[in-house]
Amino acid sequence: MARAFAPFALTCLRQRSRQPCLSILSARQYHSHEHASSSPFSPTEDAILSAALKYVLSSSFTAESLSLGAQDAGYLPISTNLFPSGAFALVNYHLVTQRLRLSDSFSRPDPSPQLNISDNVRSIAMQRLKGTAPYIPQWQDALALLSMRSNIPTGVRELARLADEILYLAGSDTVTTAWYTDRMALAGIYASAELFMTQDRSRGFADTEDFLHRRLQEGEKLRDAGSMVGKWVGMQAGGLIDGLRSKGVWI
Amino acid sequence: MHRTTLTPRTIISVLHPHRPILDFLLPAFTHHPTHFPRRHNATAASAPPSPQPPPSSYGQHDPQGAKRRTPLSPSQKSFLDSALRVNQAGELAATLIYTHQTPPLLRTHPHLRQLMHHMHAQEAGHFATFNAMLAHHRIRPTAMYPLWTAAASTLGWATGLMGKEAAMACTEAVETEIGGHYNGQVRVLVRWMREMEERGEEVGDEVRELVGTLKRIRDEELEHLDEAVGEGARLARPYRLLNRVIRSGCKGAIWVSERV
Repeated sequence: MARAFAPFALTCLRQRSRQPCLSILSARQYHSHEHASSSPFSPTEDAILSAALKYVLSSSFTAESLSLGAQDAGYLPISTNLFPSGAFALVNYHLVTQRLRLSDSFSRPDPSPQLNISDNVRSIAMQRLKGTAPYIPQWQDALALLSMRSNIPTGVRELARLADEILYLAGSDTVTTAWYTDRMALAGIYASAELFMTQDRSRGFADTEDFLHRRLQEGEKLRDAGSMVGKWVGMQAGGLIDGLRSKGVWI
Repeated sequence: MHRTTLTPRTIISVLHPHRPILDFLLPAFTHHPTHFPRRHNATAASAPPSPQPPPSSYGQHDPQGAKRRTPLSPSQKSFLDSALRVNQAGELAATLIYTHQTPPLLRTHPHLRQLMHHMHAQEAGHFATFNAMLAHHRIRPTAMYPLWTAAASTLGWATGLMGKEAAMACTEAVETEIGGHYNGQVRVLVRWMREMEERGEEVGDEVRELVGTLKRIRDEELEHLDEAVGEGARLARPYRLLNRVIRSGCKGAIWVSERV
């Protein structure tokens, strides 16, 4: 029995390990610059969801908007069965299309010493926040859907993809452990700025922009402090080792 | 395009504007030397069953170089994703090993300065190459980055302390694994290129350049291997033990870095 089971278990393990671990962090695979990436939505989904987004202003992120959108696009209301996650599909569609739209207005700058990545991050993140601006009165509903347990993985993955997209378009070329910390920090800052935005009544969301600016500056300071500490520790350790070597210690 | 010669093709397109034009089925009354440029997105399935030139001459006479170009499949992308991630981690480790081997080694064997400097400079170049590739192709670096940093530094320092032979045995073991690893990647990429050419598709510059870079780096790694053996790597005291431990460590690190 155990013998018969062993190969099966082994296959399962192998198949499991083929799946990229840390799927949340591996936002995307090898990005080829020779081919445009295809849309994640099928034409039908695209037609229904983009039509349904127009109804969000009147009937929020609900199944009702979805079925109204389906009728608008020339499908039966029942075709909302295409979206098992219901109204969340609408939220997801908004998030994904807004993220993909960023690359229309920004392109990754070529590496140069004058490159100001933090400024780029700020303007790209603000542009993305403005993409949600029309739906701010309804955004509480979207956040409620995003915080449902079954939707959390998709939401978090989408946030990670957004952070990756912003840093890529801003020209960041960090490929050390900071790759992870940068993305996590930016995702956190973006999410809090979006939350702030739902309460923002200022003109043109100026307060949100200030909030985003301050959070990003704080993040920058923290990042600099961390790397300074790292450098200091490294130099002290190197000095200690060199000192001991000069005293004839065998290290 | 704006010629209004009366050909079967124009007649059909006027009569049936939405029909696909199957004029190759009609007898040709007039000779029309129209040149059909091959479309970028035409696939084998949708192309008309017209006789095709053999793949070798395919596209060479094409004025626009409009050979078919298929995007990489998801499995190919995930292969490149993990392959380049491992390569960056490997070069990080190699750079650190040489960095930390050099000071204790040069104290006892100052004549190795040139060799160590040369090998370190090459590894640093490889590391920079893969760093740029990761940023360009949006590949995540390995999550084990700090762990590999610590492990490689320790390995370099420890084998440097153990003496010249042990240090060279370490180089030999590491470069054997890395050379084999690069060889495997080159083999896979060359197979892809051959398959693409057999299907009459254009091999993109990305893949072509990558193969060239990998071959160059592999050759440099194998040079290090030869130099290490020449400097007496096989004379290291527990040679077999060192070799086995370091090589299995490399294999484990490769396995992990491919995944996380």
